[in-house]
Amino acid sequence: MGPEQSGSTKPVGGVGASPAMLDAEDKVTGRTVYLADIEMEGMAHARVLRSPFPHARIVSIDASEARAHPGVVCVLTRDEVLADPEIDPYFGYVMRDAPVLALDKVRHQGDIVAVVVAEDETTAGEALEMVDVEYEELPAVIDAVEAMAEGAPIVHEEMKPIAWDMKPIYGSNIAHHATLMRGDIERGFAESDYIFEDSYSVPPVQHCALELHGVIANYTEDGITVWTNCQSPYPLRKELERMYKRKVRVIVPFVGGGFGSKSRDRIEATTVAAAKLAGRPVRLLLNQEETFQTFIRPALTCTTKTGVKADGTIVARHHKFVSDVGGYGISGPRNANNTLKIATGPYRIPHVLVDCYAVYTNKPPSAPYRGLPTTQHTMAYESQMDRMAKTLGIDPVEMRLKNFLREGDVHVPGDLLRSVHADECLEKVVEAIGYKNRKSGPGADGKLHGKGLSCTIKYTITPPVPTAATQAEVVLRDDGLFEALVGTVNMGQGSDTILAQITAEALGVNLDLIRVTHSDTDVTPEDNGTTASRGTFHSGNAVLDAANKVRTNLAAIGSQLLEVEQSQVQVTSQGVGVSGEPGRNIGFKELVQRHGEPVAEKGACVVGGLYTDETGRQYPITSTFWSFASAAAEVEVSPETGEIRIVKMAAAANLGKAINPRSAKAQLEGGIAMDMGPTLFEKLVWDDSGQLLNTHLMDYPLPSMELVPEYAPILVEHPLEGAPFGAKGIGEVGTVITPAAIVNAVYDATGILFHELPLTPDVVLAALENPPQENPPVRPKATQA
Amino acid sequence: MRRFEYIKPTSVQEAVKFLADHPDEAMVMAGGTALVVMIDQGVLRPDYVVDLGGLSDLQGQDSSNETLHLGALTTVRTLERDPQIKERFGVLAEAASQVASVRIRNVATIGGTVSYGEPQTDIPAALIALNATATVVGTEGSRDVAVEDFFLGPYETVLEPGEIVTRVGVPAPSPRTGGCHMKFTIGSPENKPVANASVVLRLDSSGRCEEARIVMGAVGPIPLLATKAAAILKGEVLNETAFAAAAAKAAEESDPVDDLRGPAWYKRRIIRVLVERGLTWALSRAAAQSQ
Ligand SMILES: Cc1cc2nc3c(=O)[nH]c(=O)nc-3n(C[C@H](O)[C@H](O)[C@H](O)COP(=O)(O)OP(=O)(O)OC[C@H]3O[C@@H](n4cnc5c(N)ncnc54)[C@H](O)[C@@H]3O)c2cc1C
Repeated sequence: MGPEQSGSTKPVGGVGASPAMLDAEDKVTGRTVYLADIEMEGMAHARVLRSPFPHARIVSIDASEARAHPGVVCVLTRDEVLADPEIDPYFGYVMRDAPVLALDKVRHQGDIVAVVVAEDETTAGEALEMVDVEYEELPAVIDAVEAMAEGAPIVHEEMKPIAWDMKPIYGSNIAHHATLMRGDIERGFAESDYIFEDSYSVPPVQHCALELHGVIANYTEDGITVWTNCQSPYPLRKELERMYKRKVRVIVPFVGGGFGSKSRDRIEATTVAAAKLAGRPVRLLLNQEETFQTFIRPALTCTTKTGVKADGTIVARHHKFVSDVGGYGISGPRNANNTLKIATGPYRIPHVLVDCYAVYTNKPPSAPYRGLPTTQHTMAYESQMDRMAKTLGIDPVEMRLKNFLREGDVHVPGDLLRSVHADECLEKVVEAIGYKNRKSGPGADGKLHGKGLSCTIKYTITPPVPTAATQAEVVLRDDGLFEALVGTVNMGQGSDTILAQITAEALGVNLDLIRVTHSDTDVTPEDNGTTASRGTFHSGNAVLDAANKVRTNLAAIGSQLLEVEQSQVQVTSQGVGVSGEPGRNIGFKELVQRHGEPVAEKGACVVGGLYTDETGRQYPITSTFWSFASAAAEVEVSPETGEIRIVKMAAAANLGKAINPRSAKAQLEGGIAMDMGPTLFEKLVWDDSGQLLNTHLMDYPLPSMELVPEYAPILVEHPLEGAPFGAKGIGEVGTVITPAAIVNAVYDATGILFHELPLTPDVVLAALENPPQENPPVRPKATQA
Repeated sequence: MRRFEYIKPTSVQEAVKFLADHPDEAMVMAGGTALVVMIDQGVLRPDYVVDLGGLSDLQGQDSSNETLHLGALTTVRTLERDPQIKERFGVLAEAASQVASVRIRNVATIGGTVSYGEPQTDIPAALIALNATATVVGTEGSRDVAVEDFFLGPYETVLEPGEIVTRVGVPAPSPRTGGCHMKFTIGSPENKPVANASVVLRLDSSGRCEEARIVMGAVGPIPLLATKAAAILKGEVLNETAFAAAAAKAAEESDPVDDLRGPAWYKRRIIRVLVERGLTWALSRAAAQSQ
């Protein structure tokens, strides 16, 4: 919490207010500068030559004709990269296996083979067709489960893990296999009255951010500057500095949506290599088809086996999942691994085994998608929850309430859960959707009606050792305004606004005195990345720390200038004054002038480290904060066409404290709208030969406004100690809880539980006419007897 | 995007002459909503793009006579909004209102839609249901082609190299006629159809069916006229049973393929639903006309 604010009035636009986003006016009037708006003196334009094959050895590349084409500046191929001793061509944050461009073989259709740099994009496009590549096609593997089989084509002959916790199975496609164990799983199943076992699968989709990926790179002897819409500029800087052995500056302008598709870099190092060869700034902007080939949300299949007592108490759960990494392990294996601890849901389960496989295939590299694969796990354990409740004759709400994690529970060793209130989230959505007195099944209108629930637990990325993962600076400038410098990337989520509100609240001044500078590694302090719902907590804590120090400093300076005790100095929007003496006040501008320099302070958010339990054992803290949320959906299914209409969606999240309630609600609404697509119809399809069939948005339907249901976003506020004003993140839970709620509502309406997404109307109609059989539960004790 | 030379002729003669002189290198552009996408994707690689936008002969609508005359450059948005068209050629306006988004409807043209020959379009189905005719002009002169006979296969029409569509004529429906256009999409209603149906029913003075035209889009290589389904209705008293039989027959006459918009069996099911719903609406509109 901020320092005592006795005597001061509550600042306008502080914590808990819902001011309009600071960047809203510029955005709606078209003044905001995005990457594609940036023009540079001497800038050349790049286009990428991409592999037509999912898996092939490159025999030779002949770019001589392209190089001779008028207007072409240079062509980057593996030959130039390998001939440059200054470049380490491989990058990646988990596996270091992604090359600047394909060096030996291509690993997915659309893999980067060459880059043409020309005076303009059209010329570069023309010259692309003049590059002659000879390929030797190799057998490809598109499906992750098939890729695990004995004898499957090997995507990476050599595994290159660099993260401390990666456990590849050498000689296979399994980039990472990890397990999480708690209790004794076999005993747990033996003690259960019923065991349910189900498999689920979710196909690959893409994030479809409004702004496509793009980079501008400038390579000079003094250093490299990269403008990009990547969500993690600081890790990118470090990686580029290692690869190019030069000082690097990364600047991220306003980003038109990321959702995880830009959480890591894919084309940045490539553009730098092209700029180095060109000797000029080079710009690379991808189109929609290329974006589909850059980062995707991976396919995930899982099997969930759950042992329960007849009264609905969950005793044991074995959850095994296979997550598709794609052709490069830039971040995919880590994303899968990070969901180990939440894969069994927000429930107290004494006996747990989670098996995680992250598997290479000949598809584009995988990226997190607003919630990692938490969404897919939630779909699995929450739809199984409804099936168990129905089979056991228990109310789905009661069954969840019986098993929920509670305040103070130890979830994973090393985590004492705080700010849980999963039960309150559930109760709120149950009420908002009218779940209790629902009428399920055929209605007078000929449609099938149903309501469904889902609950989740989500973790945030947390370092294994104490780290000042995020820093910030607050500066009172000579114009009398406070500047908050933050590393958080503004990608439309409202980060600038929320961080300004926290700064204003901590300083005790109105929001209009704050401006925010974001994500420029030469200007703004270090931050680990705008991912995993981190921004509000991490940058929030860092600006809070900095603002508190500035406020203390202002009081000290005020005490000198006003010649009063520091305790009598009061900071308000008018400047520093003396309590109880309205006449005695120094404005901020004058204060800086008389002080002789700006008042600047740095702040940090330190996270990670060890937790000591009551027996004295120590564990690394697995999550800085935990998020809990619930959704409830109301649907209407047409028995004639199989169409699903989502009538209403309620979502409740315990976000600790809403810094900006309107913005927080918008996160829930946006999350629902976004994940309706993958639930109902989005799907990337590769044919048997590894060709992606969706090449533009005409072949890839997205949710539109007409499909958006009535929303009931609900904010549950139980402040978390150590969080800025108690606030946790809320960026991802909206997507995470959406599919399961819809699947369960359809189950309620039709009696059919779908185990696979998307629920396109043909799939629904086929199931209505030919209902699939569910695996009956096994009764271990009965079989023993 | 690939480079091309932009040509803007000022007369139909000039346009068709240029096209005839460059049969393989030149492509016509009207609204450009399909053409520009295809050039951008590298599907089409013209050296010249001939913009018809400056041709006054291709502009304007005239509904003063029995027949509605539409210049080929008439936008889909005009078809949707023009009060005369809405009133007298409701199926066409209804089809137009379901094409893509307002942004595209403001630009896409009737001539472009017909000439494109894409199976997943709405306007051609409505035009066939209404017995429309396209006027085609080439260097050799002009000819009229029934829209029903205009399509040969996906993206393949009767247009010879050098020919353009200049006008579309739609005969006024006789009294006691009602129609309906139904479109089914997955995802946004702005998406291209999984299937669509344009139906027109004409009743005789006793209220029996004098003629039925049932056109099915996106369920075959070209818009398909369901003649056997229509024959079931002809001369009959129209009711639910008759419509169900006709819809089932229409589904048999459809010829869909599996693609990203759905499997063939499903499209067949959907076309049956659309035809049945469309006939029901068309009857109520025809009946309202008769009063
Ligand atoms: C996202 C999207 C969704 C869409 N959804 C639908 C939908 O649901 N239903 C629907 O019906 N339509 C839909 N359309 C519209 C349709 O696909 C075409 O884009 C449109 O009808 C083409 O009209 P245009 O005037 O822009 O033609 P253009 O793009 O200019 O031309 C199309 C073709 O016709 C030729 N051509 C154009 N005019 C003439 C002429 N007068 N004589 C000879 N040849 C000519 C061109 O050479 C080109 O080959 C959609 C379009 C988009 C982009």
